[in-house]
Amino acid sequence: MRRLFHKARLICPAQALDSKGWLVIDDDLIAETGSGTPTDALLASADEVIDCTGLILGPGLVDMRAETRDPGAEHLETLDTLLAAAAAGGITSLAIQPQTDPVIDNAALIDSLQLRASRRQGPHLYCHGAMSRNLDGTQMAELGMMAASGAVGFSNGHSSIQDTQTMRRILTYAAMLDKPVMHHCEDISLSDGSDMNEGATSTRLGLIGSPIEAETIILERDLQLVRLTGARYHAAHLTTATSVEAVRRAKNEGLPVTADTSAPYFQLNELAVSTYSSAAKLNPPLRTEDDRQAIMAALADGTIDVIASDHVPVNPDMKHLPFSLASCGASGLEVMLVMTLRLVLNDVISWQRAFELLSLAPATILDIPGGSLVVGTEADIVLIDPRTSWIVTGRDFNSLSRITPFEGQPVEGRAVRTIVGGADIFIR
Amino acid sequence: MGTTTKTVPPVTLTQRHLLGIEGMPVTEIEALLARSHFFASVIDGSIPDSDIPQSLAGKTVVNLFFENSTRTRVSFEVAAKKLGGSVLNIAVSGSSVKKGETLIDTATTLNAMHPDILVIRHHAAGAPLLLSRHVDAAVINAGDGRHEHPTQALLDALTISRKFGRIAGLKIAICGDIANSRVARSNLYLLGTLGAELRLVSPATLLPADIDQFGVPVFTDLESGIADCDIVMMLRLQTERMQGREIPSQHEYFNMFGLDEAKLMRAAPQALIMHPGPMNRGVEIDSVIADDIDRSLITTQVEMGVAARMACLEALIVGASI
Repeated sequence: MRRLFHKARLICPAQALDSKGWLVIDDDLIAETGSGTPTDALLASADEVIDCTGLILGPGLVDMRAETRDPGAEHLETLDTLLAAAAAGGITSLAIQPQTDPVIDNAALIDSLQLRASRRQGPHLYCHGAMSRNLDGTQMAELGMMAASGAVGFSNGHSSIQDTQTMRRILTYAAMLDKPVMHHCEDISLSDGSDMNEGATSTRLGLIGSPIEAETIILERDLQLVRLTGARYHAAHLTTATSVEAVRRAKNEGLPVTADTSAPYFQLNELAVSTYSSAAKLNPPLRTEDDRQAIMAALADGTIDVIASDHVPVNPDMKHLPFSLASCGASGLEVMLVMTLRLVLNDVISWQRAFELLSLAPATILDIPGGSLVVGTEADIVLIDPRTSWIVTGRDFNSLSRITPFEGQPVEGRAVRTIVGGADIFIR
Repeated sequence: MGTTTKTVPPVTLTQRHLLGIEGMPVTEIEALLARSHFFASVIDGSIPDSDIPQSLAGKTVVNLFFENSTRTRVSFEVAAKKLGGSVLNIAVSGSSVKKGETLIDTATTLNAMHPDILVIRHHAAGAPLLLSRHVDAAVINAGDGRHEHPTQALLDALTISRKFGRIAGLKIAICGDIANSRVARSNLYLLGTLGAELRLVSPATLLPADIDQFGVPVFTDLESGIADCDIVMMLRLQTERMQGREIPSQHEYFNMFGLDEAKLMRAAPQALIMHPGPMNRGVEIDSVIADDIDRSLITTQVEMGVAARMACLEALIVGASI
């Protein structure tokens, strides 16, 4: 099967490519690409010719941090709904967090999840193994055996490792395995009982705030441990200007450090919770406008490498409660792309930078296929209509998790076709 | 006073609910206070009971208290009954809430019984706002977590204005556990809006974040904080909301931040004492001062509570009929 996509705007940061052109998929691989108009011979050689006028064609998105609830709480998210939501969001590979029940802290569960994902046609599924057994933060999990079963890295979900020696040992061990460690930075003695960012807004609302230092103290500690251990370290969801500065310093020093953020932290600030809107209750919490500006600047200047979905399955039972009783988290898979496109439309970043953040960089950090339109690689591709207008409506999500802080927002642009291994897994 | 107070009309508010003082127009605050003065005259006997308008006749007020309370609940109950309303008290400890029912389910269930006013106290900030979105009744916030306690602020203003004849220009110190106090927040907005010269006094560990942005001087020393003040408002140390690391001991707290006769010497000579209750005697306030009938307004505050709540209940019922 030979399919020709033409009249598209091809974007591939790995090749510094941004031009009108065409792309041929032969079975599961990208066979040929070119700029301008394909020759008549090329057109004639294709089994199917797809006119992509007005569309962006780029490498499929790689989401390096999403949570599922399968196994354990399938009413919140199953593997099927997770993968369907990812496909609708233009994602062709996603790496899930170990926060399942049981926790992904052993090779058998990774095998099981990857086998189940392979039985359905959808995005590639990868797993982060738990850093500690049952995410308890003390006993190192079987990192080596999980790596052998395909764990792309290690994470402790939203349970930040508090004990410094434990963190040091995990980093040292992960460095031996040459796998990245993705860490959620939170000093839980500082954030204990908190509902939002600490400041004038939390004071006004009468809510307990968590200071930015809850994030930066652990981040700064980790960066020193990276210097000590040489481990590849990835800071999950940066939210503050101070964190950005710390990562910038570490990168300038040449430490093997990368970082990501997610859409709420560059599109919203703490005022999103000012009417006790629990949809915007997140961990880490939304910060100030100055922080949001710093996050945007860091996305543009390269200090932050990746935009992740930060997808956390939540349902009304967990959210339709008084703010301090509501759970943290929001659906992210189906808004990650469009919220990034807003940065492009507002000239904060270029199209190439958008694909770097959403595709090339996460694929590189996790050392997995994808992230480019290079000839000979697997055809994981997304087609985006950048001009279509829609309104974010949680109840239309493919995910079982339909609560988003972006509910009701008018947006522009969305994935219209998602292709994995040459096959359409989603068409709008 | 009698003839003029009688002419004060019932108040109508732009909001259907009374959820907080923040953002409430000064005209409405003043109107509620004026109407509260009228009801206070009824309570102190200068206007006969027969002149109380029965504006809540045939109306149902539901007291829904998720936190224990005696004075506020009874105060609302007395206020509603004086206006001819019927009152239902729902004690949460014995209700379906204890069986795991959510606030919204409780709200929906109560709503089906068509109450006219729901008075809610809840340990979670914002709970009254959430409730108000799911019921047809008017909702009164009777205290939500650390957020607001609007009727307390109104009764405090009423108490002050009956004693001093004004609020603007008075020097008022709000002292104690500011971080955990909804009374402090509501009074900050209300007394500030009415032109009082406010100051906050608290140990640094019990000051909420960025309180310096609220436009009020902040002191961490009680004696300089209350210097020359006309009113010293002491707050209860909210040990149930504290996380255990705020102060070394109640002994030290009383020593440094508790109001006793010696520290009170720093205030204006005729300074009066307020406290929203219930008091921790010997923690934030010395009994000698609390019980000094010449200086303590604490019992008056309870009395004025009924009058202020009558004005609020009436305003919401009158507003609903428009």
